[in-house]
Amino acid sequence: MRKFRTAAITATMVGALTLAACSGGTGGDTSGSPEPDTAGGDAPNELTFMFRGGEYDKIAYEAAIDKFEQETGASVTMIITDADQYATKLQAAIAGNKVPDVFYIEPGKMMGYVYADVLADLTEYVPQETIDNIWSFGTDAYRFNTETGARGDSADPLYGLPKDVGPFGFGYNTVLFEKLGLEAPSADEPMTFDEFVALCKELTQSDKLDYETWGTGLNVVWNSQAFIWGAGADWISEDQKTVTVDDPAFADALQWFADLGLVEGVTPSAEQAQTLDTYQRWMAGEIGFFPVAPWDIATYNSVAEENPDTFGYDVIPYPVANEGDDWSTWLGSLGIAVSENSKNKELAAQLATYLSTDLDAQKILAENKVQIPNLIDYATGEWIETDAPAAGWPANTKAFLEIAESKGKPLPGVWTYTPEWYDNFWIGIENVVDNGSQTAADFLAAKQPEMQQLLDQSWISADQAKAQG
Amino acid sequence: MATTAPPAESTTVWTKEDAKASRKANNKLHRREHAWAAAFMAPPVIGWIAFLLFPLGFSVYASLTNWNGIGNMTFIGLDNYTRLLQDQYFWRALWNTVFYMIGIPIGLALSLALALALSRKIRGRTFFRTVYYIPVISSLAAVAILWQWAYNGDFGLVNQALGLIGIEGPNWLMDPTWSKPALIIMAVWKGLGYSTLLYLAAVQAVPRSLYEAAALDGASSWKRFTKITWPMVQPVTFFLVVTNIIAGSMIFTEINIMTPTGGPSWSTASLVWYVWNQAFRNLQMGYATAMALVLGILVLIVTVIQFRINRANDFSID
Repeated sequence: MRKFRTAAITATMVGALTLAACSGGTGGDTSGSPEPDTAGGDAPNELTFMFRGGEYDKIAYEAAIDKFEQETGASVTMIITDADQYATKLQAAIAGNKVPDVFYIEPGKMMGYVYADVLADLTEYVPQETIDNIWSFGTDAYRFNTETGARGDSADPLYGLPKDVGPFGFGYNTVLFEKLGLEAPSADEPMTFDEFVALCKELTQSDKLDYETWGTGLNVVWNSQAFIWGAGADWISEDQKTVTVDDPAFADALQWFADLGLVEGVTPSAEQAQTLDTYQRWMAGEIGFFPVAPWDIATYNSVAEENPDTFGYDVIPYPVANEGDDWSTWLGSLGIAVSENSKNKELAAQLATYLSTDLDAQKILAENKVQIPNLIDYATGEWIETDAPAAGWPANTKAFLEIAESKGKPLPGVWTYTPEWYDNFWIGIENVVDNGSQTAADFLAAKQPEMQQLLDQSWISADQAKAQG
Repeated sequence: MATTAPPAESTTVWTKEDAKASRKANNKLHRREHAWAAAFMAPPVIGWIAFLLFPLGFSVYASLTNWNGIGNMTFIGLDNYTRLLQDQYFWRALWNTVFYMIGIPIGLALSLALALALSRKIRGRTFFRTVYYIPVISSLAAVAILWQWAYNGDFGLVNQALGLIGIEGPNWLMDPTWSKPALIIMAVWKGLGYSTLLYLAAVQAVPRSLYEAAALDGASSWKRFTKITWPMVQPVTFFLVVTNIIAGSMIFTEINIMTPTGGPSWSTASLVWYVWNQAFRNLQMGYATAMALVLGILVLIVTVIQFRINRANDFSID
């Protein structure tokens, strides 16, 4: 019996330790399906491409890869994974020295991969005229100066090409405006915050229509950036070394954002938003202003088609604090990178270029409302003139192109080594925006030192990663 | 009657040579048996070394390094452990994880009550057993999404039910006070069927003669429960407590789905959720491994204490 107990304790100990130590995997694959071999191709002309995405991504890339294979004689193996498992699978592939030749890379994780010599420098492999025809944000997001740690400078080495650029636009419900007899906002000029609030009040009605409506319903984590930037504030200094949330302009903008619900009452309450989140309410025609991004277009179009009496939409600029201020919003991206250890690096870089810039693939992705085109000449010419309207993109789609061209910024945290400092900002934010138990100024005064400490730690970690290689 | 002498071979005379030959044959046989035994034992031993011992050793080493999970490791001694002691989020996550353990005694009490009820000959017994077991075989991700809706502040099923008896329910997942209890209730509901099933088997295995003898001695129902049923199901209770603490210390999926940012004011972030974020989002694999090992050691300590307590309370029926 004693032996049994000893064995049981030992087994429990080993089990507990191992389970705890390996707990990172709990967020990973639970499908039980066999793992594909992610290793790069061995033979000349043999490449592997690992990515995540939907049906249209696959169709588009199959078209691009077919053409690539015909033109180069290469053989490409595609490995597609679930979106929520991609990051952990890639990390496992890197740790297991089975890095695919070509793969998706998040710009936020690029620095660690470059320091670890996982990513190939593509500068010499991608022709300048190709780069010139891609939105500069799309390439700058994958540039990195390993000496200074700086990001986004077009003179620095290029470690990836964009799979896409994702403009996080702003929109309004055209049908609701018509029903309430309101004049549609300008497609070109941003509203001021005051004008926006005034319109939101007009849109917030409980008895004019046979359903309740609100001016807006914005999630602070994803939607506050454009308003903070529109007030001239930011989370971080330009050199990415100082947390600037203690700027009074930031506090004013955040308080204004919180007061949309707390004081002005132009958003559904936190409880109402939880009942039916504001995304659903927007599509139900109950909300006047809401974000619109390319990946939403297909869904919004089908809602508009099914419920033309309650829902229609178009894209507009984000509001700004004062007349004449410049508006901006965040612009996401996913990159296509090449393994530093690829046996066919030049060919792999060529494949990455095809995947990023092949016109037929871009047409498939844009036609199916997966993304706006990466190619400037196509996007600003044939696409915006004829293809986008024909495919059902909104009337003011040029606002998306404007974001891609000049109004877009990376989300704070994307261009630092780790985003922990930025993630920390959202801890306790509900006390400001949901229940108002804390003022924005008090919240930010307490947050800044904590965020700064984490940002400093991020830079220390970056330096250590650089030293380790 | 003629007699014949016994055949020479029937009189066994063991010479030294015979003994040597026999030993040789036996040794040969033993060697072959040992070889076969080793061959049969090798796969699990190799598996244990490859999939348990090596990862464990690797984890210990990784916890002593500065490692982002993709690049090279740099040995930094106990820095990750000293950092951990000063990390307020580690302690908050640990506290949240410990808090979730409140659900274990609640779940066990409910399971035992249900098992006692289901062990009686009541109508629809099989139906109820099935109903209580369905959450166990349901996908945790799907269950988490359903409970997220059920906990809705205004129109969620939970608050609607509370409203029927005049209670205004809180905004469960958005209120730091109620977010952890909300997750505990869900975890208890999810695990109830499994514990009930084990208790049911244990309750039904208690010899009827013990109850009959107690009844003859005039023992009340409560006495029979406390003096017979409870001690007799103790091994199952012990098993459930140990396994629930291990499983509870690893709570992750429901938190990641129901409160993906760690809940209001970080009130739901568990230690494994924090470990996962540090390892895969913040590229702090070495630090995350140190936290995972500390969690493992804490679970080990709790488990050893449980084994000791269980040994002290051990009994047998002669």
